[in-house]
Amino acid sequence: MKASDTWPADELLIRARAGEASAFAGLVRRYQRTVYSIALRMLNDRHRAEDLAQEVFLQLYRALDDVESDTHLAFWLRKVAVNRAIDRMRQESRHDNEPLTEAAAISGEVLEDDPLLRRRMAELLAQLPPAARAVVVLRYQEDLDPVDIAGTLDMPINTVKSHLKRSLTLLRARMQGTAIVEDIR
Amino acid sequence: MSKDFEQQLRDVLRPVEPEEGFEQRVMARIAGERSRARSKVTRWVSVALAASAAFAAILGTHEWQVRREEQGLEARKQLIEALRLTGEKLDVAYQAVNRESSPPTDVDGSGA
Repeated sequence: MKASDTWPADELLIRARAGEASAFAGLVRRYQRTVYSIALRMLNDRHRAEDLAQEVFLQLYRALDDVESDTHLAFWLRKVAVNRAIDRMRQESRHDNEPLTEAAAISGEVLEDDPLLRRRMAELLAQLPPAARAVVVLRYQEDLDPVDIAGTLDMPINTVKSHLKRSLTLLRARMQGTAIVEDIR
Repeated sequence: MSKDFEQQLRDVLRPVEPEEGFEQRVMARIAGERSRARSKVTRWVSVALAASAAFAAILGTHEWQVRREEQGLEARKQLIEALRLTGEKLDVAYQAVNRESSPPTDVDGSGA
């Protein structure tokens, strides 16, 4: 644990803005899990997720003066991470034929019970289109409510709710299909 | 599927840490970008200095040419003036010579 880890979040931000490298490193440590996880769930590739997460922090370094508070920082990081991930997915047009083995491997690491069903859920998540996947990730990984998701994605709240409803219905239906297959086996 | 479906989603989407050393890699990338930005500034300053020197040289040459032309015009004017004065003097001398070489005329008009 480093000294900057004990500083209050807003102090860390003020010091980072003043050019203190250790304070900025403290901000990276504080938010790396959030940013990397968003990138990983969106891109389903560890290397591309690491690269994207690094780019988000580089962008933060350049835009530090625009960040008003720690709360604003968390919002800013999520927004930039999700939007960059969506842009990259659209550029590469990989979401249609993404390799699902990586998604499965990532989920398998952290789940102990019922690994097959959870692997399957991770695979199905990886098949959602970019915007729908972003909504699901922000809702269930970041625990944001629909209003905050709408703000983060610059999306009407009704669109957020509709993405959530449709994605959950789709995932549930496909998961039930998987469960039936598992029962038959 | 006994467990709450949304809770299962939360489990699948549990946040994960990046690989060890992520923070150092970010800081190294920032340092690299800063040094690139610095060298870009240095390059621009060198280009600006070289351009200023070239501009000053061109301006100096132009200034020198203008001055030379002015000096040339002045010299030309002086030469023309000198030639004019010389011409006038030659004219006077010529008239004097002519006067002296012409035969004397009868001043009183007696013809004797």
